[in-house]
Amino acid sequence: MFLTGSKIPADLLGGSWYIYQRYAPLFWAGARTTLLISLSATVIGLIIGLIVASIRNVKFTPKDSFFSKFIKKFMHLIATIYIEVFRGTPMMVQAVFLYHGLRQYVMWSPIQAGIFIVSINTGAYMAEIIRAGIQSIDDGQYEAARSIGMTNTQAMIRIILPQAIRNAFPAIGNEFVVNIKDTSVLNVISVTELFFQSNSVAGIVFRYRDTFLVTAVIYLFLTFTTTQILRAIERKLDSPRGFGGASQSMPGNFPFLKRKEQKV
Amino acid sequence: MSLIKINNLNKSFGSNLVLKDINLTVEEKQVVCLIGSSGSGKSTLLRCINLLETPNGGEIIVDGQNIMTANFDINKFRSHVGMIFQSFNLFSHMNSIQNCMIGQTEVLKRSKSEAKAIALKYLEKVGMLDFANQSVKSLSGGQKQRVAIARALCMEPRILLLDEPTSALDPEMVGEVLEVIKQLAKEGLTMLIVTHEMSFAKDVADLIIFMDQGVVCEQGSAKEMFSNPKHPRTKEFLARILR
Repeated sequence: MFLTGSKIPADLLGGSWYIYQRYAPLFWAGARTTLLISLSATVIGLIIGLIVASIRNVKFTPKDSFFSKFIKKFMHLIATIYIEVFRGTPMMVQAVFLYHGLRQYVMWSPIQAGIFIVSINTGAYMAEIIRAGIQSIDDGQYEAARSIGMTNTQAMIRIILPQAIRNAFPAIGNEFVVNIKDTSVLNVISVTELFFQSNSVAGIVFRYRDTFLVTAVIYLFLTFTTTQILRAIERKLDSPRGFGGASQSMPGNFPFLKRKEQKV
Repeated sequence: MSLIKINNLNKSFGSNLVLKDINLTVEEKQVVCLIGSSGSGKSTLLRCINLLETPNGGEIIVDGQNIMTANFDINKFRSHVGMIFQSFNLFSHMNSIQNCMIGQTEVLKRSKSEAKAIALKYLEKVGMLDFANQSVKSLSGGQKQRVAIARALCMEPRILLLDEPTSALDPEMVGEVLEVIKQLAKEGLTMLIVTHEMSFAKDVADLIIFMDQGVVCEQGSAKEMFSNPKHPRTKEFLARILR
């Protein structure tokens, strides 16, 4: 019984192909986990980002009582601390700290912890992306909404955020692509994502170079496909509409999630 | 009782006093035109009336209620006071009819079908029925402003505030918008209009107010204002503009 590596072709491409064929289920199980974590964390992160950006966008009005001013200031502070901390520390450190730190209180699997960590990390970035999106909306939109009697919250949800999200869509999509790659750091808390699986395979065959070529190609395949899908959605969002009776989805539904033609 | 009564209104941005002791009375069904050079505080005064700007002092009494008291329901009040902006400010992610419906369904809590019927009625009134399902991005300036007027009318306002409604329009589109406003004036809607269109003001206004440097210099009927201005600043302004 010698090293398994002895049967593997010695050259890079031959070796990689051999390893891929032999361990394909392991690679793809890892890729599945990677996609599961990055997709759900991007969606949850977007929701967190929307909430945090909305909090940071709350304006002070002269009519506010002392108490509501205090609450608003406090919420601002919390939101700012959250953003600074999670953007200012490496996700790998966050992963180790939170996974082990919280394990005394929640019995979570590495994958659950992974989704949690990537979500709150993404949330901090999303908050800034959405904030930029909100800032790109003309003040007149907000004024018009208020002038017909909408509350601050209604104006935000119905008027500002749908437009902000549309403007920020390329950046939001980019976060997803970044997450596909960055979930690789979750191997430190033994989440069985693509990097972790690759490491295991490499350990079995003892051929790091060949194994990680396979890994790189799979990552590239995932990000490339995702980018193309996001582009297609973007094009659809930008396409001129309104002629020939084509109407947008009803306000309030996020247009890119549901763009069936609707007669009003 | 007059519909709007403004007493000693003051407004400053920082140390810059833009409205100084404004006193003004607007009767029901009156059309009031505010004229004056840029920076004279006309728009700020208009924006104070629906509290888009918060005044620093004085009082604004609408329908016998001081709108500047702390527990006044601003949102409900605003739903009865339409506002037309120089830059239209249509909700650009919606089409024309959605622009007209959102305020009705969100603020007035009307049902969708009712809101739709009302929206269609007012779009027809401003001549934009054919564009009901068209995205507002594809409309011309004049068309946008007409949809904006329809959006305000859908809330069935008691007062309509128009902040330079034609200033951002190509000259050839000014007419179509002014036509709509004239029609509304004829129907007896109370309006306050900030405008630089003197002949239009002469036409529709029951009362013209000339403002200069945050002060109401002179007010009177269109006739006396244009034929016989009394204040030197008014004379100067009109001489410059009515050449």
